[in-house]
Amino acid sequence: MTTRTAAAPNRTHWNSVLEATLVPALLVFAWQLWAMTLATDPRSPSPTHVATTFVDLVSNGGLIGATLQSLGRVVVGFGLALVCGVVLGLLMGSNRRIRDIFDPIVESFRPIAPMAILPVAILWFGTGTPAALSIVTYAAFFPLLVNTVHGVSRVDRKLVLAAMTMGVPRARILARVILPAALPSIMLGSRLAMGVAWTAIIAAELGVGAKSGGGGSGGIGQMMFVFYAYSIDLNAIVVCMIVVGVVALLIDRLFRFVEYRLMPWRH
Amino acid sequence: MNQETAMSKLRLRNVAKHFIAPRTGQLTTAVTDVNLDIETGEFVCIVGPSGCGKSTVLNLIAGLDTPTSGTIEANGAPIVAPGADRGVMFQDYALMPWMSVHDNIGFGLNYGTPGEGLTREQREKRIRHFVDLVRLNGSEKKYPHQLSGGMRQRVALARLLANGPDILLMDEPLGALDSQTRLILQVELLRIWGETAPREQRKTAIFITHDIEEAVFLGDRVVVMSTHPGRVKAIIPVDLPRPRSEHIRADPRFGQLSDEIWDLIRDEAYRAIDGTEAPAGPKATAVEKVE
Ligand SMILES: Nc1ncnc2c1ncn2[C@@H]1O[C@H](COP(=O)(O)OP(=O)(O)O)[C@@H](O)[C@H]1O
Ligand SMILES: [Mg+2]
Repeated sequence: MTTRTAAAPNRTHWNSVLEATLVPALLVFAWQLWAMTLATDPRSPSPTHVATTFVDLVSNGGLIGATLQSLGRVVVGFGLALVCGVVLGLLMGSNRRIRDIFDPIVESFRPIAPMAILPVAILWFGTGTPAALSIVTYAAFFPLLVNTVHGVSRVDRKLVLAAMTMGVPRARILARVILPAALPSIMLGSRLAMGVAWTAIIAAELGVGAKSGGGGSGGIGQMMFVFYAYSIDLNAIVVCMIVVGVVALLIDRLFRFVEYRLMPWRH
Repeated sequence: MNQETAMSKLRLRNVAKHFIAPRTGQLTTAVTDVNLDIETGEFVCIVGPSGCGKSTVLNLIAGLDTPTSGTIEANGAPIVAPGADRGVMFQDYALMPWMSVHDNIGFGLNYGTPGEGLTREQREKRIRHFVDLVRLNGSEKKYPHQLSGGMRQRVALARLLANGPDILLMDEPLGALDSQTRLILQVELLRIWGETAPREQRKTAIFITHDIEEAVFLGDRVVVMSTHPGRVKAIIPVDLPRPRSEHIRADPRFGQLSDEIWDLIRDEAYRAIDGTEAPAGPKATAVEKVE
């Protein structure tokens, strides 16, 4: 009896692990078969080639350093966008006049793709971290702002009125009622923002790399550009693609965890 | 004259409130010609069909809205804004979903004027006192969505009382409860209000309900409102002795008063049944009385 009940969660655990790994494993297998039917050019990407290149890049190609550099830019850029987006979003969402002033500006900049500001960013900030950072911040800012404004506009007005009848000053209502009530929307905005930030950093580093002839920016995007433009090492590019994807997945899981911790009342 | 002004806790004079629909510009008269004097320590119930402006009157007293015309005074001073001296218990409780029972009850103490000058320990002690009072011990860490309707209502009541308001404004506070819980909480409410204390130590309470018998059971007076436009139709003094227990419902005077109030609103209640927006409360009573 007891062993059966104890074994049950274990079995479902293994089942879910199996389910999660089965499809990727099949894809890798199919890819390997496909690669083996082609000419045995060592540069053509196959799982085995990619795996050896990965080990190579980690041990002496600076892959980890480049990934961390890109990740650092994303974290800082996201942080800047989070502060700006949430603060402006709270103000725009709760004050009609501030909204009327900023809304046209926001709506006219929002459709401009982050990469479109790259030339200006390079001109102003050069080809290093500040340029990449400005693009990431720009990209992450809008999902955060828009979702914060949306969240604030949907806050149950009764909660604000209730706080007013308890003698809570307006500024504190913003921090203690409107902010937590809008938190689910802000978290959604954060996840979207983190996604576009990560996409934007790769694109920005690629772009800065192209513009500056392969030097300058650093990061995993620039690494990809160098492999593409100079050594035409497709295996290395695939390694970078996989690293980008895995990091994105880890970031998403981290956000779900943070969401869970930050909003226990929703579970 | 002067003395009368000094005695009234709340004074409403010719109060009217119109709403103008933002797009169509259509004018709704929510209430008009409301005159009401409420004394310190009085428990006043307001009954009337749905849409007669009960919530509007309560919001005006709370300072959450301003009258279109007329004046409202508390302790002789005009009401211009919400304040912790007039606590409100909203129809749907308005609890903070991200806060535990404990934190909800302590909201005003921790962030609003009622907590000014209190140490952390004093605030905690006060929160615990009101948790005990509404019998929510053991549920302090729960979130509102984990509570039954009756428990949520008790949290809202405890939050209201923890802020120590001078005037209690309650909008159908027991409306969502099953009838047993409701009867229990009615008695508890009277106890908390201070039924056994001398009159000058009691809170001043305004209690909106659609249940006539609830109004008679709780109130010192029952304000009967009518609709189209919303106005005060009659004010019925409830001359039943205090403290009141469940047994008072068997008192013939209790039935007389209930009938009297029912007669005042029956026409409108019937009209509301025929119309599309039949109010739940008076309709239920209507069926009872017809049989
Ligand atoms: N904010 C508002 N805007 C427009 N009309 C309103 C508003 N609040 C209330 N009303 C109208 O005023 C009337 C009285 O409403 P209310 O005070 O909520 O009635 P009750 O609480 O007695 O059911 C209703 O006709 C309602 O539609
Ligand atoms: Mg109402």
